[in-house]
Amino acid sequence: MSVLASTQPRPTRKRLRLDISAKQALFGYAILLPTLAIIVIFRFLPMLQAFYISLHEYDLIRPPRFIGLENFIDLLQDPLFLNSARVSILYVVFSCVPVWVLSLALAVLFNREIRAKNLFRSAAFMPVVMPAVVNAVVWTFMYHQDGVVNTILGWFSIDPIPWLRSSRWALWAIILIGIWRATPYYMVIFLAGLQAIPHEYYEAAQIDGASPWRQFRHITLPLLKPTTLLVMVMSVIVAMKVFAVPLIMTGGGPADSTRVLPLFIYQTAFEFFKMGRAAAMSVFLFAAVMVFTLLQIRLFSRGED
Amino acid sequence: MGRGSRHRHGVLTYPLLFLIAFLGLLPYYWMLSCSFKTNEQMFAVPIQWFPDPINWSAYGDAWRAQDFTRYILNSALVALAITVGNLLLASLAGYSLSKFRYFGRGVLFLLILSTMMLPLEVTMVPLFLIVKQLSWPNTYEGLIVPFLVEGFGVFLMRQYLLSIPNELIEAARIDGASELRIYWQIVMPLCKPALAALGVFTFREAWDMYIWPLIIVTKDSLRTLPLGISLFMSSFGTMWDQLMAVAAIGTLPMILLFFFLQRSFIQGIAITGLKE
Repeated sequence: MSVLASTQPRPTRKRLRLDISAKQALFGYAILLPTLAIIVIFRFLPMLQAFYISLHEYDLIRPPRFIGLENFIDLLQDPLFLNSARVSILYVVFSCVPVWVLSLALAVLFNREIRAKNLFRSAAFMPVVMPAVVNAVVWTFMYHQDGVVNTILGWFSIDPIPWLRSSRWALWAIILIGIWRATPYYMVIFLAGLQAIPHEYYEAAQIDGASPWRQFRHITLPLLKPTTLLVMVMSVIVAMKVFAVPLIMTGGGPADSTRVLPLFIYQTAFEFFKMGRAAAMSVFLFAAVMVFTLLQIRLFSRGED
Repeated sequence: MGRGSRHRHGVLTYPLLFLIAFLGLLPYYWMLSCSFKTNEQMFAVPIQWFPDPINWSAYGDAWRAQDFTRYILNSALVALAITVGNLLLASLAGYSLSKFRYFGRGVLFLLILSTMMLPLEVTMVPLFLIVKQLSWPNTYEGLIVPFLVEGFGVFLMRQYLLSIPNELIEAARIDGASELRIYWQIVMPLCKPALAALGVFTFREAWDMYIWPLIIVTKDSLRTLPLGISLFMSSFGTMWDQLMAVAAIGTLPMILLFFFLQRSFIQGIAITGLKE
């Protein structure tokens, strides 16, 4: 392009063109600017600042005092923090694994020819529509000792469970809600993935006499791998952030059994005003999100070779 | 799949579908039916599957106890502002990053992308300190401005615009259309499906927003609906019937959104599954 331009003896044209492209570049910068400003001020700087504050003691009243890694060292010896990390890990593992299986199963089901498909699919999708806080409020009442959940369990002769009142059950109660709400969300993503698989593959497999299970195992699963990776990463990150439901339903209790990490960060910062300590906890959370994302991408891309 | 297996699939499938529908709808039904009970009826043993007698007073009582109209208006204002902001800023930024050439474009895009995976729960402490510095706690600015654009929206719009041929834009330039006009009259209409999905997705998230208002709002007049509902639940010996009434009203906008914009609603979730 530049060689061509230099051989053409038309300097005025060329300058005009440069002017235009400079103008366009300027316009490009200008329309990016508001987004850039907001992202830098409210996302990028806070990310860096989290590290800075984590090295300080700060209660919002006195100026921050530099204390090095003390917050981190304290946290690793703090039974409350270790408990909170444990609760978060339990929540993530036991809510995500069932969600992967169930959402894929639902997607496969709704990808078939069924009557009144739209109606059933909408009904299955409804948990996503319910606002998070409403979800917490309604389920709190449903988990009541003589409430609807225990009544339904009673149909199968299961004794009433003291869901939110017992430190043994409260986390499971919250995990069940997490599964209820997340499954249809990832079902939609799996459905989009399933619909992208060409029909011809299945037709060919049917001609070869492959059973539905073999078709699923050897066509659906391998071709869904990118979608599966994405669902796994997304669902884990979303589960790591769970906050409204435990805060509203249990406040972290009974006996700290539902105090997930984000809830503990919130309480440390805005109930006990230990900003440095809370920031150090967010650094741990951040590290967990990052490590997990990278690890999964790594694992999956290795399998692809 | 042979004919035999097709028959079997029918027999097994429909009870399963009814079970799924039952589980999906049960909390809705329970919320609605309880909002038409008195507090005593709600705790009746055995439970009343259908309110008997039907009681309408919970709705009025709740509104007399708290100014929920105000909370709903606050939520609507905040969610709408955030949605409009995201649509405008993300499409402008996506347009810039996909169709213009300038120095540093790749780095700026990476910078925006790097904030995509970042949960608010990680940055809430420093973000609060920044907003405090701006003296924005207890203001609409504080509720809205930090969320006017998200890395995800920019990424989405950029990917979408990359698939739109440059010739359309070039042709308009040759016709002498101004850059802003090209954006507004050519690029925006072409992006409609992506904008609809992003818009519904953003509105839903903003209507749901809880942790941030909880941190920066202490004044009653600025409370959003999720905040109002959660405070109503934790205050003075919870009036469950009224709480269910408020919850039902707070869910209504989402249900309307779902039924009238079903396609975009579902698309809005499917796009979060986009890959690079």
